[in-house]
Amino acid sequence: MSGNNRQYAFFLGCIAPNRYPGIEASAIRTSANLGIDLLPLKGASCCPAPGAFGAIDLNVWYAMAARNIVLAEQMGMDITLICNGCYKSIYEVNEKLKHNDDLRDGANEVLAEIDMEFKGTIDVWHLAELYYDPKIVGIDKIAESVTRPLTGAKIAVHYGCHLLKPGKERHFGDTENPMWIEELVAALGAEPVQYRNKMQCCGAGGGVRGYDLAHALDITNEKMINLQEVGADALTEVCPFCQLQYDRGQVEIEEKFGIEWGLPVLHYNELLGLAQGMSPDELALDLHAVDVEPFLKKIL
Amino acid sequence: MAEVKKNEEPRIGVFVCHCGTNIAGSIDVKAVMEYAQTLPNVAIADDYQYMCSTPGQNKIAEAIAEHNLTGVVVAACSPRLHEPTFRNATAEGGLNPFRFEMANIREQNSWVHMHQPEEATSKAKDAVRIAVAKASLLEDLIPKSVPVEKAAMVVGGGVGGMQAALDLANAGIKTYLVEKNPTIGGRMSQLDKTFPTLDCSQCILTPKMVDVYRHEGIELLTYTEVEAVEGYIGNFDVTLRKKARGVLTPAEAEARGIVGGGCTGCGDCEAVCPVIKPNPFELGMAPRKAVYIYHPQVSPLIYTVDFDACVKCGLCVEACGEKKAIDLDAEDELITVKVGTAILATGYDIFPIEKKFEWGYKNYDNVITSLEFERLICASGPTGGHLVRPSDGETPKKVAFVLCAGSRDNTGVGKPYCSRFCCMYSLKHAHQIIEKIPGAVPYIFYMDIRSFGKMYEEFYYRIQDEGAKFIRGRVANITEDPVTKNLHVNAEDTLLGRPLDMEVDMVVLAAAVEPSAETEKTRRLFGLSCSQDGWLLEAHPKLNPCGTTTAGVYLAGVCQGPKDIPDTVAQAEGAASAASIPIHKGEVELEPYFAQCIEEKCAGCGLCVNLCPYGALALVEKDGRKVMQVTEAKCKGCGTCGGFCPGGAIWMQHFATPQIVAQIDAFLLGGEQ
Amino acid sequence: MAVKKDYKDQKLVEKLQDRNYYVSDSNPEFIKEVERLGRTAAHMCYQCGTCTGSCPSAPRSSYRIRLFMRKAILGLEEEVLTDPDLWLCTTCYSCTDRCPRNLAPTDAIMAMRNLAFKRDIVPRNFLKTVQAIYKTGHGVPNNDANRAARKKLGLDEEPETTHKYPEYLPGLRKIIDHYKMKEKADRILAEGE
Repeated sequence: MSGNNRQYAFFLGCIAPNRYPGIEASAIRTSANLGIDLLPLKGASCCPAPGAFGAIDLNVWYAMAARNIVLAEQMGMDITLICNGCYKSIYEVNEKLKHNDDLRDGANEVLAEIDMEFKGTIDVWHLAELYYDPKIVGIDKIAESVTRPLTGAKIAVHYGCHLLKPGKERHFGDTENPMWIEELVAALGAEPVQYRNKMQCCGAGGGVRGYDLAHALDITNEKMINLQEVGADALTEVCPFCQLQYDRGQVEIEEKFGIEWGLPVLHYNELLGLAQGMSPDELALDLHAVDVEPFLKKIL
Repeated sequence: MAEVKKNEEPRIGVFVCHCGTNIAGSIDVKAVMEYAQTLPNVAIADDYQYMCSTPGQNKIAEAIAEHNLTGVVVAACSPRLHEPTFRNATAEGGLNPFRFEMANIREQNSWVHMHQPEEATSKAKDAVRIAVAKASLLEDLIPKSVPVEKAAMVVGGGVGGMQAALDLANAGIKTYLVEKNPTIGGRMSQLDKTFPTLDCSQCILTPKMVDVYRHEGIELLTYTEVEAVEGYIGNFDVTLRKKARGVLTPAEAEARGIVGGGCTGCGDCEAVCPVIKPNPFELGMAPRKAVYIYHPQVSPLIYTVDFDACVKCGLCVEACGEKKAIDLDAEDELITVKVGTAILATGYDIFPIEKKFEWGYKNYDNVITSLEFERLICASGPTGGHLVRPSDGETPKKVAFVLCAGSRDNTGVGKPYCSRFCCMYSLKHAHQIIEKIPGAVPYIFYMDIRSFGKMYEEFYYRIQDEGAKFIRGRVANITEDPVTKNLHVNAEDTLLGRPLDMEVDMVVLAAAVEPSAETEKTRRLFGLSCSQDGWLLEAHPKLNPCGTTTAGVYLAGVCQGPKDIPDTVAQAEGAASAASIPIHKGEVELEPYFAQCIEEKCAGCGLCVNLCPYGALALVEKDGRKVMQVTEAKCKGCGTCGGFCPGGAIWMQHFATPQIVAQIDAFLLGGEQ
Repeated sequence: MAVKKDYKDQKLVEKLQDRNYYVSDSNPEFIKEVERLGRTAAHMCYQCGTCTGSCPSAPRSSYRIRLFMRKAILGLEEEVLTDPDLWLCTTCYSCTDRCPRNLAPTDAIMAMRNLAFKRDIVPRNFLKTVQAIYKTGHGVPNNDANRAARKKLGLDEEPETTHKYPEYLPGLRKIIDHYKMKEKADRILAEGE
């Protein structure tokens, strides 16, 4: 931790810390190398999952997300996070409560019961956008931080849904063919590859993974077909939930559909960790369902 | 003059209109009328179903005689609609028409407060009280007549502008046709065929272009833009910028003493020019040189030097030889012409459809716009009329047409309106590929087919019969096969209720239209209004669709809103007719809302002279001291001087300070004066 | 109201059931509720199908978001809330991104799900997530294998969340209890056993 680093309250969510802890570990280390300190947001909970909670009672979703935001307000820090689902809950509820009196009053009525109040004093950022923003980190600084370029690897990007969409409630511009995460990938020395229907959903969201797994996996499988067409060595994303769907989903696809893909799936922070010299063990890549070894062989 | 005349004893008649239920539906008209009776100076108050009807107007005339009225108030609709009607009725009754005042209790009241009858009624009473206060102080005013210059201007040389210019000139009026491009012809000259008749667009347009060029009554000013507009109906002084063309016409050459010189359109210059640029007429799909014509049928057939691209190598000057037509040192030239009336026909541009990311225009090679399709299917276009895929030059067999591409779009990215001619030209495009490419199938993705014109529905029937496939669903997105560059069109066939993923060779986007880039600038120069989406605003959408709120300025064609060629030409003829009326009458009456100097109060400081935006004021010597004098024909009654004058020496006729103060008092004091 | 056919053959009653749309079958308040919860002007839908054309679930199921919009506008509350397809939206927001009427069909679906939940219509997996969060603060809680992995990485076994600071759980539960959500989840799951 350096005195000049920017400080953010680090919202962990569920899947990164509880299923892919390498993402959490690498996010903290790689960000520190880039001048960002991620400080623990003590007592945070599930964001809560927009599909699961928002789908059945939006009021609970607003109030629970607001509680997480207030924890950061009390620290006096903006939130950063590493999951698109969390981004939807935390970013969107923060914006909605800031701009709609009825929603803010409703949430604050409940928060008052636990001596909390949403004030609307902080902003919420996805860590990837902080990396891309030249005022915070920027492509150049990322490239400079690379000690082990991922040369020779063809990496496809899955943006996920809740980071960019709906575009009118976000600030990322083109939601149909964005290229900024490809730029982040290229900064690591890898070759970003384009494939058909890049913006298609992983299939897991909205509670569909739990409601109808075969349906969710069929969507996932379509992405796998499009990725194979262009010969991607790995898929990267900025959402542990998408990662879960693509990584464990491949095992489930094999079980259910009898199709084997074997495509390694890595969170951008895991890639960044590798490129900054972290070892596969330091990233707990052995927890991935799909063997990451073939990809590692290409780059190490 | 300008002495402050007080009406000895104001006697005002108030008439409240029901307008059927338009007003009476939410305002208690009787209550307003009875309230008016209690107001000071009111001699009579009455109400009627339709004040604008003949019996309604008669009521006014009769009351003036019976009650010896000094002023009339009608509480009804907007003065924009019926002020002239009631002024006439006032005059019929023997009063000066400017002793009439209108209270708007419809557009600004009953229509917007439909569900608040009590508040609406109270507001109507306020409006009537305020109008009575002003009417009590109104004076006789005499409108001035000014002569009308026997010349007109048309801005924009597309089919609408050309038609308007021809009509005006044929009616014996000297007409300046101003076109920013080097040639007239406009969008229509870029089209291959026209629906529903399928005649060749250029074939029916070029005779008109020739007529315009040859007409003695038309002064054609191509490569020219409007720079400034001064004056008013009957007497517009328009400054034009003749952009440096670098090529002399035979007449210009002769004026410089070059006998038998000037451009003949031989093209020798073009042949030697080393600079290659994309041709905007071909939407960048074909090259042109730095000295160029758009296409072989341009009018006038005079080359133009693109000075942004020209390297001034001089090869063209050499090639031109004795004709000495090329002047690489040419500069812009400003000229001023005087016209009585003007018609704007500034046309449209294609909305930049790449802003709708989901269809991948400019990202996927084989997604093109409908205008690009026109050029690609046109025999004189960049491919000689062979429709080919930009990615590989292959002939497409399956072509998807995306209708409402950016039209009927409320996202803020596209346009909320219907662009009106896309359905029909897309049907035409479908016909063209069926006709030209054996085995080709057009798939038209539509929400509604709007075939509203004469023989249009029949055309739809014909194209369907020819084999075009219609899919009722808006295209959600397009993805590209990275290998074949084929396109996958995703939509729902809403009639089947099934999503579809259709692989096609080419996609044509029927992109929305928007006002041309120059429209906004031209609008401001002429002082016109525009609607929310930038189209120029007509004086009345139904009853005055060619006129504008600026007297003497008229509209033709798409600049007023999307319309097809027949509607454009019809409106152009209407605008020409309207623009010729003041010219044939020879004089126009100006509303007498001039500023007047109260000389005994004027200190001759001259501050107002510099403030006047119309240059209507001057300081003159009178009885040994300086006083301000107004040129009434130039004054627009804006009130800038009157509001500023430190000595209160300027009297704004019809909007005089005491009149306005009386209105404010009447409002604030609630009538209990 | 649909005509009731008291034919003795139940199969024929089903085959020949009255399929007319009757305005009297519709609840005009339904669309207003959808709009209020979804914060979108759903009644402005013009049925272009951009939503279904964008939908990753549509090609592999009978889920048609356009039809849900249509039925909501017509007030066909019963049909909407009891349709199992309601739960096939992945909330990818592609339809919302592209809707030319600037509506948020995704949020309209979320609103319809909220309204279904009010009538105890909800898939079990949603309720299990509620229970998990109530218990641990996490929808996907920690486990032993993960704890071991975290330790190897030099992280605390429990993340800096309600896992490590369970003292925050009562506050979280108070929020959930305020809306009686856990109570309801327990009840519905028990009833389904």
